[in-house]
This record gives sequence, structure tokens and C-alpha cells, in this order.
Amino acid sequence: MIGAIIDGDPLLQVIWVSLASGLGVTAAYAVAILGASRAVELQRDGRAVEAAVFAIVGIVALGAVLAAIVLGIVALADK
Amino acid sequence: MEGDLLTVAIVVGVALTFDFTNGFHDTANVVATSVSTRAMAPRLAVGYAAILNFVGAFISLQVAATVAEDVVNPSSISLLAVFGGLVAAIAWNLITWYFGLPSSSSHALIGGIVGAVFVAQGPDAIFFKDGVLGEVMIPALVAPTLAFVVAGLAILLIYRIAGRLRPGSVSAGFRGGQVISGGLLALAHGTNDAQKTMGVIALALVAHGNLPASDPTPPTWVVVSAATAIALGTYAGGWRIIKTMGSRIHKMDSAQGFAAQGAGAAVILASSSAGFPLSTTHTISGAVIGSGAAKRLSAVRWGVAGNIVAAWVLTLPAAAAMGALTYAVTRAFGTGAVGPVIVSVLILAGGALLFARRAQQARTPTAKAAEA
Repeated sequence: MIGAIIDGDPLLQVIWVSLASGLGVTAAYAVAILGASRAVELQRDGRAVEAAVFAIVGIVALGAVLAAIVLGIVALADK
Repeated sequence: MEGDLLTVAIVVGVALTFDFTNGFHDTANVVATSVSTRAMAPRLAVGYAAILNFVGAFISLQVAATVAEDVVNPSSISLLAVFGGLVAAIAWNLITWYFGLPSSSSHALIGGIVGAVFVAQGPDAIFFKDGVLGEVMIPALVAPTLAFVVAGLAILLIYRIAGRLRPGSVSAGFRGGQVISGGLLALAHGTNDAQKTMGVIALALVAHGNLPASDPTPPTWVVVSAATAIALGTYAGGWRIIKTMGSRIHKMDSAQGFAAQGAGAAVILASSSAGFPLSTTHTISGAVIGSGAAKRLSAVRWGVAGNIVAAWVLTLPAAAAMGALTYAVTRAFGTGAVGPVIVSVLILAGGALLFARRAQQARTPTAKAAEA
């Protein structure tokens, strides 16, 4: 019945884009915090190599968050 | 073509006043969680939200197009009907602000316009099935539910990924994240809410013959003035509602605030892209409740959440009834500017009375405390 009332495609698109972006960005930011936090702890323990790996993971995750935000805004502005 | 230049000026002025009250009323959605978790100082958060609301209004015109073309028939709209809808929306915003209820400014606006047009032009001028139901009411149900689910899943993911880390560094990290997610939410608010006013002004310009009904795209001055009005309203702030949204639904930590704001922004931006004029209030309320319920169902004060739901349910029919009544009263003075002038004075007086009463109530406990 609902399908007869509305064009389902935009609504379905809203649902999957919201789920993917909301969960993706949140998870990536949590990974960035995990990376930064673990990097500080490991650096303090003198485990420089492992600390560097976590720092890189954190930076990449933060980069992914910022890229996703910019991409989302550009996509919206282009419509 | 109906009405004169003065009537158009009054309608545009009332539309921008509505936009101001919308920003004033909806500031809570954008900054409440940041203020509640102390990620940002209140005044800084409000200023930040105002700037990003302004910027957001320029990003897209999809929602303005929906309001101007898909809810009511632009070729049969009259200036007085637009005026009636706007006054109803302002009155409803003021009433719910007075009682501290975060109801939807958007649904008040659409309800008011539909009610006024129903009385002015009859049911044939309203696109009930494809417009009101398909592009307003169904997204209105989907958006808060979706925000609830996304925020709930997001907070579970966050606890899974970062739950075993030292609380201090995690809290600081998510407070930093709230600066980003709060900014994104403010931007999203500008993309959706400022555009509704642009759509309504476009309808007024169509009614006056300044824009063609076949392509009622708002001109640049409308975009700039609507963006400015919502930004000024946001900066003025609505502290009573901030209190309800930020702490009375449930006490949240910075991770929950981040999850709620991120989920709200994702849903609003995706909906703006599709042109759905949804309620930012409903959406962020759903996200706030979802981020609390996923952690612990009992953490949510369901009584307060129930009051908010009641305000949501009431908004469309109440605003529609007020829109119909306002149109009838305004029309009783003829089709010229007399009716809008009288009704504008009345709504200004009513608003001033509510502000005075609220200020008096706010002062009373302080005075009692000083006497004690």
C-alpha cells in the first residue's frame, strides 16, 4: 500500500545512505580514537613500532571520516 | 494575480519571522547534546550552529522545490492562504516553546499551509497522496525511527570498538568528535529547514505573479534572507528546549552525544538530498532516545519522551486547524493588506505576552531565593 502512495526509491536510498554513512563514520571515528589512545599508551611503554602502527591506523580512520563528510556535502550540493 | 505589494511584503516578513522562530526553536536540536556533554560552551555552540545553519542553507534547493511544488498546487495558491499557514506555524512554535516542548516547526508550517489552502481553495488544491502523505508524513515516520536505529547501532559499535580504553581519553576524543558531528548537524539543519521558508516565499511570489508556477525556484535574495533569518534565530537560541533535549530525556556521555548527532546529521542530509522536508526535531529526538535506549532502556525518561511524541502527533492537525482559522479571520477583512496587518499585530501582541509571562516565571524563583 505504501508503495502505491510513494515512489519508494528515494526513501530506500535515504535509509541505506543514512545507515551506511551514520554507522561508517561513527565506527571510523571510534577506530581513530582507538588508534590514538593505543598509540599513546604503547609509546609510553617504549613500544615505538606498535605505537606507530596504531598512530597510522588512527590517522587513516580520521582521514576516512573527513573524506566521507566532504564527499557527502559535495554530493548534496551537486544535486 | 492577487494582492498588492504591501501584502507580499507582509507575507515575506512573516515568512522570515517564522524562519527566525524556526532557528530559535530548533537550536536545541543542534546544540543540546554538545552542551549537555560539555563538548562546547553554550554560547560558543550556539554561535557555531548559527554560522553552519547559514552555510547549509546555500548547499541545496531540493527541499524548497518540494515545499513550493509538491504539497499544494502553486498555480491555485493565494497570498492570504500562505499568510494564514505562516501565522499558524509561528503561533504553534510559540505555544510549544512556552511549554518547553520540542515539536516540529516543519510540520507546523506544512500543516498550517495545508489547513489554510484547504479553506481557501478547497481539497483539490492539496496534493494529499503524493505530496502530504508521500513526501511529508511517511518520511516523518521513517526519519525518527531510522535515526533511533542508526544512533542505537552506532553507540553499540562505539562501545565495542573503544569501550575498553581509558575513559578519560575516550571522553576527550568524543567531545572533539562532537564538535565535528554538531557542526554537521547544524549544516544539515540549514539544508532542510531554511529551505522550507524559501519554498513558502516562492509560493507567495507565485501567488503575486513574480515567479512562474511551472518553475518556482527561489531567487537569490530569498535564499540569502532565509539563511540569514534562520542563522539569527539560531544564535538567539531556545534555552528551555535545550534543557529538555540535552538532559531531561536521558543523561548522556560524549560518545552517546557523538552517536546521536552523527546519526541525526546522516538522516537529515540524506533526506535533504532526496527533497524530503522532514522534521529535524523529530529526527534528532529519535537519535537521542536511540543512543540512550541502546545502552540501557531504563536510562531514557520515557515520560518526557512520551510528552514529545504527543506534541508531534498534535502538530499537523493543530497547525492545520490554526491555519484554516487564521485564513478565515484574515479573509474576513477582504483580499487586501488590512487583514494581514491586523492579524500580524495580534500575533505580535500574543508573542510578546508569552515572552513576558515566561520572563516573569523565570524571574520568580530567583526573587524567592533572594528573599530567603
